[in-house]
Parts: sequence; C-alpha cells; structure tokens
Amino acid sequence: MKKVMVGNHAVSWGARLARVEVISAYPITPQTQVVEALSEMCADGRLAARFIKVESEHSAMAACIGASAAGARAFTATSSQGLALMHEMLHWAANGRHPVVLANINRSLAPGWNIWTDQSDSLAQRDTGWIQLYCETNQEVLDTTIMAFKLAERLDLPVMLVLDAFYLSHTAEPVEIPDQDAVDAFLPPRQARYRLDVGDPRAFGGLVRPDAYMEMRWYLNEALRQAEVVYEEVEAEWARASGRRYGAVEAYRTDGAEVVLVTSGTMTSTARFVVDRLRERGEPVGVVKVKMFRPFPSETLRRVLHGVDRVAVLDRNLSPGRGGIFAEELRAALYAGDGFLRPAVFGYIVGLGGRDVTPRVLEEIVARTMREETPRREDLWVGVSP
Amino acid sequence: MPESSSRVSPVAVSRTSTLVTHTGTWKYIRPVYRDLVAPCMEACPVGIDIEGYLNLLREGRLEDACDLLARENPMPAVTGRVCHHPCEVACNRRAYDEAVAVHAIERHLGDALLEQMPVAGAPRRPGSVAVVGSGPAGLACAYHLVRLGYSVTVFEAAAEPGGMLRLGIPAYRLPRSVLDRQIRWILGHGVALECGVRVGTDLPWPALWDRFDAVFLGLGAQKGRDLGVPGESLEGVWRGLDFLRSVNSGKRPELGRRVVVVGGGNTAMDCARTALRLGAEVTVLYRRTRAEMPAIEDEVQDAEREGVQFLFLAAPLRLVSEDGRVRAIECQRMRLGDADSSGRRAPVPIEGDRFTLDADAVLSAVGELADLEALPDDIARLPAGIVAGAFGETSRAAIFAGGDATRQPRTVADALGAGKRAAIGIDRYLRMVHGEPDRFPAAESLRYGPGGNLSATRWRGDDPIPRTAPANQVVRYQDLDLSYFVRQPRRAEARRGGGEGLRDFAEVNLGFDRETMFEEARRCFNCGVCNRCDVCLVLCPDLAIARTYSGYRLLLEYCKGCGICAAECPRGAITMIREEL
Repeated sequence: MKKVMVGNHAVSWGARLARVEVISAYPITPQTQVVEALSEMCADGRLAARFIKVESEHSAMAACIGASAAGARAFTATSSQGLALMHEMLHWAANGRHPVVLANINRSLAPGWNIWTDQSDSLAQRDTGWIQLYCETNQEVLDTTIMAFKLAERLDLPVMLVLDAFYLSHTAEPVEIPDQDAVDAFLPPRQARYRLDVGDPRAFGGLVRPDAYMEMRWYLNEALRQAEVVYEEVEAEWARASGRRYGAVEAYRTDGAEVVLVTSGTMTSTARFVVDRLRERGEPVGVVKVKMFRPFPSETLRRVLHGVDRVAVLDRNLSPGRGGIFAEELRAALYAGDGFLRPAVFGYIVGLGGRDVTPRVLEEIVARTMREETPRREDLWVGVSP
Repeated sequence: MPESSSRVSPVAVSRTSTLVTHTGTWKYIRPVYRDLVAPCMEACPVGIDIEGYLNLLREGRLEDACDLLARENPMPAVTGRVCHHPCEVACNRRAYDEAVAVHAIERHLGDALLEQMPVAGAPRRPGSVAVVGSGPAGLACAYHLVRLGYSVTVFEAAAEPGGMLRLGIPAYRLPRSVLDRQIRWILGHGVALECGVRVGTDLPWPALWDRFDAVFLGLGAQKGRDLGVPGESLEGVWRGLDFLRSVNSGKRPELGRRVVVVGGGNTAMDCARTALRLGAEVTVLYRRTRAEMPAIEDEVQDAEREGVQFLFLAAPLRLVSEDGRVRAIECQRMRLGDADSSGRRAPVPIEGDRFTLDADAVLSAVGELADLEALPDDIARLPAGIVAGAFGETSRAAIFAGGDATRQPRTVADALGAGKRAAIGIDRYLRMVHGEPDRFPAAESLRYGPGGNLSATRWRGDDPIPRTAPANQVVRYQDLDLSYFVRQPRRAEARRGGGEGLRDFAEVNLGFDRETMFEEARRCFNCGVCNRCDVCLVLCPDLAIARTYSGYRLLLEYCKGCGICAAECPRGAITMIREEL
C-alpha cells in the first residue's frame, strides 16, 4: 500500500509495524507528530502498546530502559533540547545493553532559539554507545525504523535513527507501506537475552569494580564494531522482503570521480541532483552518502574513496573550535588505514539552523574544491556573511 | 538468564538471585496493615458496620451484606426510609464530592431482607426478658436478645406494635405495609408480642418484676409539649403528635384552609406534609432560620417541593380566637443572637416587631415529653427521662431502659442503638446472675470508633469478616490519598410526584433499583479498611508486598521502611510503626 505521508508519520508507521510494546515520550517540535500519531494508534487499538506519558525526555528514556529491561520492545522519539536532556540515560541504555530505538528529528540547539534542522544534537551524542543511522527520504525513514529494531535486538544495542527537521519531518512524500505479515516475518517478537524476571530476581546496573568494568566496555565496543556488518545483513534480509536497500555507506556515480561530495541526510538528494547535472557537463563528480555514523564505517569509506583526488564533506553541524564532525571523523578514518590513496579533505560547514542548501550552493562548493589546491583551513564556512 | 562462561558478563547483572540480599535490615519504621474505622460507623447511633456491608456489596455479595447489616440493625427497611442518616454527614466522601447515599442502600438491603421471613430458633439460654413498649428501642432490644438466645416477650399498650413508627411517622415516609412486614420479620426471630397490655394497669409492675428475670423499658416520649402561649385550649389547636396519631390511625380531622405548624424538627415536617395532604395551605413557623432547623434536610426539601411555606425568625405570642376557635396567631419577629448551650444561635425577640398570621388550625411541634408518672418510684429519673447507664442499666437491678424515655437524642436510630446497648447489658447481667466468669469487655472495646455505638457482633465475637490488626481509630479525610478516586455524583433516589398537589399518603421516595444500589455502594472509599485495591502492591519499590488469599503479606526482610505504601494507600489501611530494636 502506498500512502503520502510526512517523515514524522513514516516513523510512527514504522514503529507500529514493528509492533512496539512500550512507547514513552515527551513532545517537542519538530518531533511531536511522531508520538501524536502513535498515541492515537494506541488509543484506538491499532497498536497494542503501552503509551507512558512522562514529564521529561530524561524520564521518557528511563521508562524505555525499564521497559526494555523487562523484555519489551521500547521506542521513543525526540529532538534537540530533548535529546540533550536524555544524555545521561542514553549512556545508561547503551551500557545496560538495552535495545531501545529512538527517532531523533535533527534540530539546532538553543540559544538562539531555532527549531530548524541541524545535526549538532544527534552528533553530540556520538560517544554514548548508540548506533546512529541518518535518513534521506521518508521511505528510508519507515524502512530504517523497522530495521532499527532488528539491528538493536541482534546486538543488544540501542539505535538512534535520525531525520532532518521539516525537510523530512514535515514534508509529505509517497511511501510504500509494507504488509504487516512481511514485517512480522522479518521482525519476530523480541527474545530478550537478559531481562528482569521476578521469578529469577537479579540486580541490573549495580556496582562493577575496576576488575570488570573495562571488560564490559570492551564488550560494548566489540558489539558496535560488528554493527556495520550486522546492519548489512539486516538490510539484505529486509531487501528480500521489500526490494529496498540503502547501505551503511552508498556511493553514487563515483566511478572516475575526482571530486566526491560526502553527505548525510536530505542534502544527499540535492547532491545527487547536482552530480547528475555536472556529469552531463562531463565533470567527474560523485556522491558518497554516509547513513551510518556510529559505528563510523571507516573501512568502507577508505575503500569507496580510494583513488579520489578531493573530497568535499558537507557538514550541517558544528563542533565549535573544531569544525564539521563528519569531516573530522573522515579525516581520522583516512589517516588510520594504509595501502590506499588518501584524498584531500575539504570540510564545508553548510546549512546550520535549517539554512537552505540549494543546488547552487553545492555547485559552488564543487567549483571551489576543484579550484583550490588544498583546503585553506579545516572548516570552510559556506555562505556566511557576518 | 543465560549463564556465560566468560568471567565478565556483557551486562551489569548480578550473578545470583538478589533474594539472598535482605535489603530490609536497616529500617527503623515499618508498615502494618491495620483496619481502622470509617467515620460513618462512628457516627451511626445504631452501631452498624456500614463500611463492611458496602465492601461486601462492592464484591457483589448481596446476601452477606444483608446479613452483616441485620446483625446490628433489626429494621433496615425502616431506617433506610426514616433515619436522619448521620453516617452521611460524617462520610469522608462528602468533602470530596457528595456523601455515599448510605440510607438508600440500607433501604434496598432492608427490603431485600424482608423477602424471606426468618425461622425462629428455640431459646438457648436460661432467662426470660420482658420488653415494655414495641417502638424501635423495645423491638431492637427484643431482637438482639432473641438472637443472643433468650426468651423475650414484648408488651404493647396500643392495639398494634410499632410505637412512634406507627403513630408518629406518616405513611408517605414509611408505608404501613413495610412497617408491618418489618415487625413481623423481627417477631419471626422468636419474639413474643402481647398488644393491648398497659404495664402498670393491665399488668402491675410487681407482677412483671416477678415473672421475668430482666425487664427493658422502652416507654417512648409520647406527650406533645405545649406551646406555652395563651389560647392553647382553643378549638383548632393541636399538639402535633396528637394530630399525627389521629391521621395515622385512619382519621381525617377537619383542619380548615390555613394551617400553621409551629416548630422546625421532624415532627413539624411530618405535621406540615400531612396537613398538606388533607388539603390545607400550610405555613411552618420557626423561631430560628432554615440553617438551624433540626429536621432532616431531605424532609425540608420534600416539604418545600410539595408547597409548604416557611416563615423563619418568628415565634408565637398568643392565639387569637373567634367563637372559641382559633382564627389567627400573633407572632413575635426574632433575630439570631449568640450561640446557646446547643451550639445554635439563640433566637432573640425584636422589640415591638409583631405581626398576625391567619390560621384555621395551629399544630404545635415543639418537642415531646416522656410520660413516666405510672413508673415505680425506685427507678430514678430526671426531667429529661429515666436515668440509664452505658448498657441501659437503671437504678433498679435487672431493669434496663432506653429510647425516648431516657435522656438521648429522639431519633429512630438512637432508639435502636439504645435497645441494642440494653440487650448487651441484659445478656451481661443474666450471665453474671448465672455465675458465668466475668469475661466482659468494657463498652469502649465494643464501640465502632471511640464515640460510636456498641456492636452486637463485637459483643458476640463472631465477626464474619477477617480483620487485620483492627484498631479502634477513625479515619479522617486527611488520612486518605484522594488521587486514586474518581469524582462521581451521588445517585439520586426515584421520587414520586413533584411540585404541589400531593394529596395521598403513598410513599414519595421510591429508593434505588438494584443496579443503582450496587453502583452507589461502589462509591464508598472503604475508609480505613483494605479492599485489596493493589496500590501498595504495585507501588512498593522493593517488591516487598505479596498477595495472600485474603489480602497482602509484607516481606519484611526486603522492606526498607520507605513508607510509600502507607502514604499511597487510598484509604489509610496501612500504618507505619517503629521497629522494635
């Protein structure tokens, strides 16, 4: 069945098809529609889930952790300040190995008060131990929501799926809704490996001394290190059911490319459009879309960028005093490997706080990247007129 | 729980069950389930386990509820109709939305009880008891005594039993068919009745003393008080009680068009509404204001609804005659002064402010007196009535008294309570006479709450409801956790007619149907008594509460004494106590 829906409702539909059992959330623009639709589904019986109202995002995540610890499939959604408030609980979810799924609608952090898209909120949570998946279209949002549960439950890791405020959250697109039977076959009820059980009472999250804490961190890191491979397996299985796959990293028209735009989220669609136009003019330009940010797919990126002369990373985010976070991560990845040709990395800061990143902006970035021998600084700000 | 062969589990989970850790060893206070007393029960002059039967109704146990009610109250079909229900005034729900309609539920149960007549058992205990007077006090005493196993004979001077219930209360409030069946039901327990026997004349007092091992005097107060103003002997001036007695025994006295009733109590309301039914235009004259009226509020409302006029802050000065008949009543305008000994503001005359009210008949309803002239001298009395103790004992051994003839509020409920107290007193007395060891508890331990009436169930010690560490402490509004209750209006009883024009004596209040009765019973907070609502079980952060067959068990080895259960118990049935160190 095909339905025209906004990205927020694609999240709601994905969670519903995944048969989440517990939802706990606190409303925030631009996320509100996600949980509004879910609460209606719970209220009218389309979704047999317990909807727990809470007084803050911190409590929302705490409730999800509790539900997940009890063996339930738990879900929440938030944005910006809400995600920031959850920070402590995000660590708890990952360290406790609770496969909670969270949809974060990218929004800038205040002040200045700004509700538009900006990846700084989710990227600030990069060290919490959550898998992070950035989506480009509403279809990808729905598919990724369903896949996120499977990925999370295979690894006992929490998964954050991320979409741009308004460009996806409030923009309607046709979305193919998979059959419930197909989703059920793909995603059976959760079988929790560790769960609260009053018949076998155990303490969770208790004191762990130095002789064991480090091992537990090692386990967590190992689980995340497997996540890219497991994601590809999950996606292959989903592709058999749906015919759609996205890849942790997707290379678009990179054959023979001298300049590659590295993108994430909705800017990717614009980049595809620009690349198509430049290729028509015979310019050797391609796109690499990074869907998975955590774990960072270093190996894959080294492979797809092998032999490329220059890379232009589009960062709709800022680590103040450092620059774009995708660029920073990519530079670190490229420096780590060996046996490949290392491209020059141009790190562009674009579209902060929801500023539009148009084809014209991307064409200028491509031209600038071709024109300049080396980047003049690590953070190249585009369109800033202070 | 999968057991990992690795040294360290990926998840911070304890390797063994946490049950080995007795986390409750540091507490210095701990909860106890302790059934307390609901305020309705303390307020009930009869001494009924109201909360108990409402809780049985919550569980759908109609028969058990009827049984629990009948253990304390011999005439629920009557009190459900005519009691002034102080239980509802005390009801904690009143401060929340509206009091539970206890009287209407009681009435329904009372009617249900009358569907089956009891089978009398033979007396099981030595001793025969005479009861003088078949009003509510006498019948209650007789009822409780036969239930305790005694042989009881009731003597009634009138031709029919019931006392004030029959002669004083109009049929539109208490249909005679209900009263007759209720009395038959009481007699059905094995009470012997002799009507038309006036003790003191038909049966001399010494003969009564000789024939019976104990006597209960339930003589009532049947002499209407005079207004104490000139003109009282005029034609058309009635003592309200005499008027009611006349109508209630089938007569239809000629009153004329304009009737003035003097007084603000229930007798006044009964007179007014009865006169209205005889076709009169009725005005009630009361010297205080509506707020001070001692009549039951529902009765006042019904009287207003039926068209009775009220004239407040006015007192009669004299009755004006014409040809030996009353023609008018001259009145003094009053204002409210300072509070008097009854706690109500006393009416004070406004000098020079007088007026005259036309009246074809004047009915005085300003109180009743007990007629004790024929009583032997060795039974001590005061102007207010026979002197009686906590168990109804009088100054003469083996003689007990209660009801309107003693000093107590003159209500049906108080009479029923006094009859029960005396029955317990007589049982205690006869057991002492028969040399039984003194195992008798003090009256205090038999009361529902420190100020409540005695409980026959507690006296017999055969409570059918399991009690958890009961304490005789009343639960107040502030002891409840109201967040667990839902506001819900009190159910209204069906009422016949409406507006003016009620000219017959058929019952006005039609009561609850069964479904409404159950719904209303579920509004009860069950103050002070665990009704297994699970709030404590759900909220205990240490899972230190477990279900048992009849309630809950505390796992004290895990209880940290946080007090959440006691704070959250919606009905105050959990108390925190200090740990014994």
